[in-house]
Amino acid sequence: MNWPFFHPSPVVEIGRDESIQVQIRPDAFSAFHALEGWSGAAAASAVFLGRVRPQTLDGEPLQALELQHYPGFCERQLLQLAREQLQHHGAMRALVVHRVGTLLPGELIVLVAVEADRRGCAQRCCSDLLEALKHQAPFWKREWCSDQGTWLSGNTPL
Amino acid sequence: MIWTLEPHQQVLAFVLRVLLFASLRDRAGWEERSIAFSEAGMTAAQVWDQLELGPLESVCVAVNQELVRADQPLRAGDELAFLPPFTGG
Repeated sequence: MNWPFFHPSPVVEIGRDESIQVQIRPDAFSAFHALEGWSGAAAASAVFLGRVRPQTLDGEPLQALELQHYPGFCERQLLQLAREQLQHHGAMRALVVHRVGTLLPGELIVLVAVEADRRGCAQRCCSDLLEALKHQAPFWKREWCSDQGTWLSGNTPL
Repeated sequence: MIWTLEPHQQVLAFVLRVLLFASLRDRAGWEERSIAFSEAGMTAAQVWDQLELGPLESVCVAVNQELVRADQPLRAGDELAFLPPFTGG
């Protein structure tokens, strides 16, 4: 693909410690491989996968979704949000993988995974970390339809 | 008053690095600009007003990659970013 707005950049991976791993990826990724390389031995794991819809918010066929971020600040913000949510819920580990660049319908945008000792806190932490990411991490989406790009002004409903 | 500098004039101690993202880039027609830091106590809101990009109300402000209030005084050498509402995930 040769979209005029596509500027490939290397995978940025930070926070690779015992508890939190954050990746910003300019290319498509496999959830299976991401989880395989991260999963530990916790009793409970919760995973959320978000994919690109085939339609725009107005219901038109989507050509592509462009994702922009604020390098540096974005990664640190994700680390901080993950730290806060792990601590709040008493969960043990978190993985966040988020795409940037140009995505096609059906491609993964985001993966959030949390490990904990109990399913309740794993599920709640995963859900809250995703919501925190959506509202507090500097990512922006632009829908492309009929070669016209439109920046989204808000998140989709929960 | 603020002035835009040519690249060869950029001296870190006397400029602000201003970043725009997403729709703000389209509106302004630029992504990054160095602006002369001309007044002690200059705030992000004052810089924003001089960019003439509309109301600041839904825009977040980050200074040196930390979210701050728009009335926080700036310092020479700061990285000042104006961020439209986040839509990731």
